Amino acid sequence: MMKVVTGVVGNDIHVVANRLIDISLQERGFEVFNLGVNTYLEEFIDAVIETDAKVLLISSLNGEAEGWCRDLSLLKSQYELEGVVFMIGGNLSVGEDNPDVIIPKFKRYGFDLVFHQSDLGIGLDTLEAYLKEHV
Amino acid sequence: MKQLYIDIGSTYFKVCEAGNIEQHFRNFERNIFDDLRSKCGETIARYAPEAIQICSSANGGLSTLIIGRTYTFSLKYATNIAYNSGINIIDSVLYSKIEQHTPPLGMIDVVIIAGGIDDSANSYDMRLIDYLKKVRYHNIVYAGSAAAAEFMTTHIENVRVMQNIISDKLQLRDEALKNYLTHLYQEDIMGKEEIKSLYALTANHIYPTPYIVNQAMQRIPEYFPVVDPFILVDIGGATTDIHYSRDLIMDNLVSENPYDRLVFKKLGVYKSRENLVFTARNNEYVYELLAYLGVTENILDEKSDKATRILMQLSIFLVLYKVSLHHNRYVNLYLEKLNSIVLTGGITKVLSLEECEQIVGFFYKKLLHFHQIPTIIMDSDYMIWTMSMKESSHVG
Repeated sequence: MMKVVTGVVGNDIHVVANRLIDISLQERGFEVFNLGVNTYLEEFIDAVIETDAKVLLISSLNGEAEGWCRDLSLLKSQYELEGVVFMIGGNLSVGEDNPDVIIPKFKRYGFDLVFHQSDLGIGLDTLEAYLKEHV
Repeated sequence: MKQLYIDIGSTYFKVCEAGNIEQHFRNFERNIFDDLRSKCGETIARYAPEAIQICSSANGGLSTLIIGRTYTFSLKYATNIAYNSGINIIDSVLYSKIEQHTPPLGMIDVVIIAGGIDDSANSYDMRLIDYLKKVRYHNIVYAGSAAAAEFMTTHIENVRVMQNIISDKLQLRDEALKNYLTHLYQEDIMGKEEIKSLYALTANHIYPTPYIVNQAMQRIPEYFPVVDPFILVDIGGATTDIHYSRDLIMDNLVSENPYDRLVFKKLGVYKSRENLVFTARNNEYVYELLAYLGVTENILDEKSDKATRILMQLSIFLVLYKVSLHHNRYVNLYLEKLNSIVLTGGITKVLSLEECEQIVGFFYKKLLHFHQIPTIIMDSDYMIWTMSMKESSHVG
């Protein structure tokens, strides 16, 4: 079973979305390590290392990810994380923002897959297709 | 069966019989066994070895080096278990930076290696073995991923492999390592000839005093007017132990015991007096503190009763300082949330409540900018120790 670490980043307590992601991932056959809400970026990275997970799926509903995920590239450079897929989804900006601006910004942060205000099913379908192609 | 409880401290013996506690200052010219027999021989002779319970804090704890893969899980969990087992952390190494880490110079009592859930195979490689060649240690234990256990036994001589401290759900699993470290402490005590001889008096295990006291923390509110979260500070002759409610830390650790403990190995007012003075002199607040107490720094060189009282007050301050957010070497407690401080150990026989409130008041005002302090409770009759010994003898 492929391992996925998931959770909600920053000062964000959207636990319902977090549970839905957890259940959806399990139904698709992933082994899920759910760190829950209010999670630091460092904790996500550390969980990936301890579990040997192949996917890190961060969710964010209140736009906090923009500030909390800036150091992803830096953290990735400090650990051996080759082959790990970094994915983020949810509402990635405060208020309305153009996906053409937001998505490239998060890709520059170091995410492979970015979903801004998208349907969860579409995001997970894309993840599975990406894994088939790359892993 | 009536029980006799004995505590072997670095400075005093305490003997509790039918609720009455006797305290005897140790004669350092004699060994512990002879000294105890000469002072309490008649009492001891009235009890069978099965009815005598002994604990000791005279040993003072062990040192450790912890190697882990992440700060959030392996290092944090192993550090927590080590502190709770009476171990003093010498150093911790994040594995990804092990090649840049300078190994400790002194002899380490136990090296702990942790990391990864059980099926995580990519945990350690030869960089670990190269590093360990530069470390001097007595014991080494591996409590990480089961998938890497074979690698450890193949490359590390005498490594003790035990249950992973990280569960498959990334939660803390502390029983096996905690038991191992507690027994190591016990073996260390037994290895010391003086304590070893005490097994002639008892048929029971000789446990470390901090371990015994920690087991009884949940029952303290039944006997004392304390309000959670609270801390218990046991300042003795050689060591100082602090037991604290987990509500005072921000770690997401899930464990059965809601109270952790930490032993400061060389922070005592008698046997570790020189170390205490050294620590005090190096504290940035100490001169202001001495002025607040109305004395000069010369008091630190004196051997008078007044000097001992000042040192005891200093030790209370230093313990609070070491666990506060101003000091990152040990745990960081949110002392702003603290409701009660219970003081026990030798200092309660010397300091008055007012003197303790005076020093805690200085700490809260100066470092935390609070004008109110937690309620201070003095366990002047060693009631907590007696209760702890009774609890542990029932469990045992």
